Amino acid sequence: MGSQGIREWAGIDTFAPATQTKLLELLGKLKQENVNTLTILVIGKGGVGKSSIVNSIIGEKVVSISPFQSEGPRPVMVSRSRAGFTLNIIDTPGLIEGGYINVIALDIIKSFLLNKTIDVLLYVDRLDAYRVDNLDKLVSKAVTDSFGKGIWKKAIIALTHGQFSPPDELPYDEFSSIRSEGLLKVVKLGARIKKDVSQDFTIPVALVENSARCKKNENDEKVLPNGTAWIPQFVQTITEVALNGSESIRVDKKLIDGPNPNQRGKLWIPLIFLLQYIFIMKPIEAFIKRDIANESRPSWEIDE
Amino acid sequence: MSSSFPASQHWSATLSAPRPRPRPNSPRPSLKCHISASRDSDSSNHALFKTLSKTLAFSSAAALLLNSSPFPLLLSNGSGNFGGCSGNGLGGGGSGGGGGGGWFGGDGNGGFFSRLFSPADAIADESPSQEWDSHGLPANIVVQLNKLSGFKKYKISEILFFDRRKWKTVGTEDSFFEMVSLRPGATYTKAQLQKELETLATCGMFEKVDMEGKTNPDGTIGVTISFTESTWQSADRFRCINVGLMQQSKPIEMDADMTDKEKLEYFRSQEEDYMRRIQRARVCLLPMPVHMEIMQMLKEQGKVSARLLQKIRDRVQKWYQDEGYACAQVVNFGNLNTKEVVCEVVEGDITQLVIQFQDKLGHVVEGNTDVAVVERELPKQLRPGYIFNIEAGKQALRNINSLALFSNIEVNPRPDEKNEGGIIVEIKLKELEQKTAEVSTEWSIVPGRGGRPTLASLQPGGTVTFEHRNLQGLNRSLIGSVTTSNFFNPQDDLAFKLEYVHPYLDGVYNPSNRTLRVSCFNSRKLSPVFTGGPGVDEVPPIWVDRAGVKANITENFTRQSKFTYGLVMEEITTRDESSHICANGQRVLPSGGISSDGPPTTLSGTGIDRMAFLQANITRDNTKFVNGAIVGDRNVFQVDQGLGIGSNFPFFNRHQLTVTRFIQLMSVEEGAGKAPPPVLVLHSHYGGCVGDLPSYDAFTLGGPYSVRGYNMGELGAARNILELAAELRIPIKGTHVYAFAEHGNDLGSSKNVKGNPTEVYRRMGHGSSYGVGLKLGLVRAEYAVDHNSGTGALFFRFGERF
Repeated sequence: MGSQGIREWAGIDTFAPATQTKLLELLGKLKQENVNTLTILVIGKGGVGKSSIVNSIIGEKVVSISPFQSEGPRPVMVSRSRAGFTLNIIDTPGLIEGGYINVIALDIIKSFLLNKTIDVLLYVDRLDAYRVDNLDKLVSKAVTDSFGKGIWKKAIIALTHGQFSPPDELPYDEFSSIRSEGLLKVVKLGARIKKDVSQDFTIPVALVENSARCKKNENDEKVLPNGTAWIPQFVQTITEVALNGSESIRVDKKLIDGPNPNQRGKLWIPLIFLLQYIFIMKPIEAFIKRDIANESRPSWEIDE
Repeated sequence: MSSSFPASQHWSATLSAPRPRPRPNSPRPSLKCHISASRDSDSSNHALFKTLSKTLAFSSAAALLLNSSPFPLLLSNGSGNFGGCSGNGLGGGGSGGGGGGGWFGGDGNGGFFSRLFSPADAIADESPSQEWDSHGLPANIVVQLNKLSGFKKYKISEILFFDRRKWKTVGTEDSFFEMVSLRPGATYTKAQLQKELETLATCGMFEKVDMEGKTNPDGTIGVTISFTESTWQSADRFRCINVGLMQQSKPIEMDADMTDKEKLEYFRSQEEDYMRRIQRARVCLLPMPVHMEIMQMLKEQGKVSARLLQKIRDRVQKWYQDEGYACAQVVNFGNLNTKEVVCEVVEGDITQLVIQFQDKLGHVVEGNTDVAVVERELPKQLRPGYIFNIEAGKQALRNINSLALFSNIEVNPRPDEKNEGGIIVEIKLKELEQKTAEVSTEWSIVPGRGGRPTLASLQPGGTVTFEHRNLQGLNRSLIGSVTTSNFFNPQDDLAFKLEYVHPYLDGVYNPSNRTLRVSCFNSRKLSPVFTGGPGVDEVPPIWVDRAGVKANITENFTRQSKFTYGLVMEEITTRDESSHICANGQRVLPSGGISSDGPPTTLSGTGIDRMAFLQANITRDNTKFVNGAIVGDRNVFQVDQGLGIGSNFPFFNRHQLTVTRFIQLMSVEEGAGKAPPPVLVLHSHYGGCVGDLPSYDAFTLGGPYSVRGYNMGELGAARNILELAAELRIPIKGTHVYAFAEHGNDLGSSKNVKGNPTEVYRRMGHGSSYGVGLKLGLVRAEYAVDHNSGTGALFFRFGERF
């Protein structure tokens, strides 16, 4: 199966054998659940390592990484198939430019995604940022506005630069959990997920280290400072999210354009006009009449 | 037994009104002299002269009165002119040495009472520089008046008043002093002095009066007038009646040979006559408190004396003057020697209203304007049957002036010769030219090739305006104007307007005041929707051209409150910088390029929209000025109701409600030159739209009339907006300083504008500002802090924010 244009996922062979085993096991699990295609949308601010993640997972240098400058303005979809299973990863340009949402980029992404289904949203940020800022909120808001709230049920927060050593002798696990919690809070705020329902939106967090100088364990697997091999861990999280039972997001014309605000409430216009007449214009007229009655007139004008 | 002042008629002529100072350079005296035939040919010239000078003086006084009142209309065209009550001047005729002029001088008893209070200018200043003759008598002897020579002109060195009752000389401040027309330093003949004495003797104020001269060594004589003041029975009631338009009663000569019985009969008949007269007379306007005040005066005084009557007269006339009844005069006190003092007043009843048109030379012509147009502007208090009031006259002047049809307006009260005590209100109007055309031109230098201006880059621009007003005399007008900045190439930016105004839609006699306006227009404006936020360098501008037809009816409730409703049909074209029609806004790409796939500019998506909609606007405005500070409420509601007619069948309801309150924080005394109160201004503006909303109709936030401290549209363009503002104005030295805080919010509705221009051009969608400012004439200088960025800037703006 699979379309002719899709290349074999050869990169998987470059991983360490332990990783390979784990990956194939996960793929098998997906196939078992009758999931033959998985589309991952990678989104985040500029320069957080979105493209690197794509390269790390695919195992080849499929997307050119351009440090210090915003990546190409166009989203790129990389598709690889292995044993009848197709993985699509959509890399997107950074959403933030000059402190604001790059609306053009967002529009381009939206139209690129037209008629595609998003199975997993990868929201990428850096682990080694000390504080969360308004931009995260803006990005998550933009994502929510574009694809609806439901997409957060299919979301994973990926924190890059996982090899980073925390300051102040803070234990690595503690730092990463503080960081991910802070980020989650802002993202949920931006996505306008209310506190009471935020239980339903358990967004998993995954740590990622894309650097080639990433430490490796005895099995030649890339590991994080806490000793876990991140690629299998990461793919497992993806698998879990893909299989968490929530609906995948199908991007169609309606979703992109949003509800047409010009149509909303149109039927009510005659009623609105009537109410305006009764409850605004008439009372103002009554006020005017009252003003005329209360007008202080000079003594000569008063009828004798 | 009662007696009234026997020759009461003359009281009238001279009691009149405060004596105004003549102003030589008064603008346009608007009063005509009013002279009746003079009885005495000898004195007629004098009388004529007197009357003339006097009326002029009065009229100029009226003008003075006007000038001092701060009516903008007078300043604006300088043509409004308002005559004072010429009734004031009437006395001049009577007092001018027995002339027959004046309303009540009919019995020829000239000078009986007439000179009582008006004297001075009667004789004395006629010939101040005349030569005089020495008395030719030894110095320091007392001479009786009849001992003086009839052929000499005596120079009077001083005049002394001697009150025999109090046995002392009274000073010049005494109220009797004003009755004497003699003036020190002037020369008089014996006849003149005798006449003066006769006048004083018969005026009713004195029981007895004598005049004697004392010779001085230098040939002049000093005059001593010794008198005994008249007194009557004490009274405890006071009544004021309006005797205007009533025949003045003529006393029947009492025959000296009458028997006692006849005398009794005579007095009884007099009394009856008087009672009848009182009964026929109408009620006075004089209010109860003044009545009470005068009764108090009577009570305190005990006996009614001439001085008391003078005081009462002054009090009554003061009230009338203060209330603006400029023609009211106390003419007589009757019923003396009874328990009741009757004060007879001619209040100035209007008997006729005359509207007259004049040509440029002042000739009476038949005007083009329908008289009804003028009449409906007049307060009803100027109509016959009402008492003339100067304030009503001023109101009429203002109202007529606001018609903008006349170059000169005069409102003159004039005594009615046929009705004693009546006033004819005369309105004289000079009409403006009906057709006017005006061309104003200007040259502008535009950058030529290479940015340098060349001769060819001089552009002639200008405006051509024509106006045809007062069509059919019903104040209908047709106004057209064409403006371009380049007559060589007018298609670039030709702005035109053609408007037809049709007032009195329901007929000129109908009190409802509806005006129909039909206009063709076009306009070109820079759209504030396509403006960048703070971080955006440059957003390519979008021009919104509108051209269309508008017809609406305005119903004026008051001068400021009105209701307007009508139909608008327009074509909206959006253009880019180079005047090409564009369907979408442009945006600058990160790469620096420009892409033209920004938010759509029109509903149709073609760059051209056509639509028809209903527009209604109701404005309630009861603001007024308190010493120059504006105080009151202003509410405006405007709704544009789409009809589904036009490109893409636009159907919408676009509405805005503005509520502004100017709260006076301190009560102050009102009056010219008084300090204005501090004022707190609270303002809110809500705008919203349901249905089709093209970007050019979106509500924008930011700008001098929205949220100060930001540029026009810098905060966003949204479907619903709310603006709140507060401003505190503190008056200082003839102007005011103010502090303000404002907030504008898109209520999250920016995304409901197609293409979300707020977000595309990176605007916040909301923002606050605060600052302080100073009003300098028309200009506001203000320092405003933009709360989004926290930076402040100094702005200079024209006009008011609210």
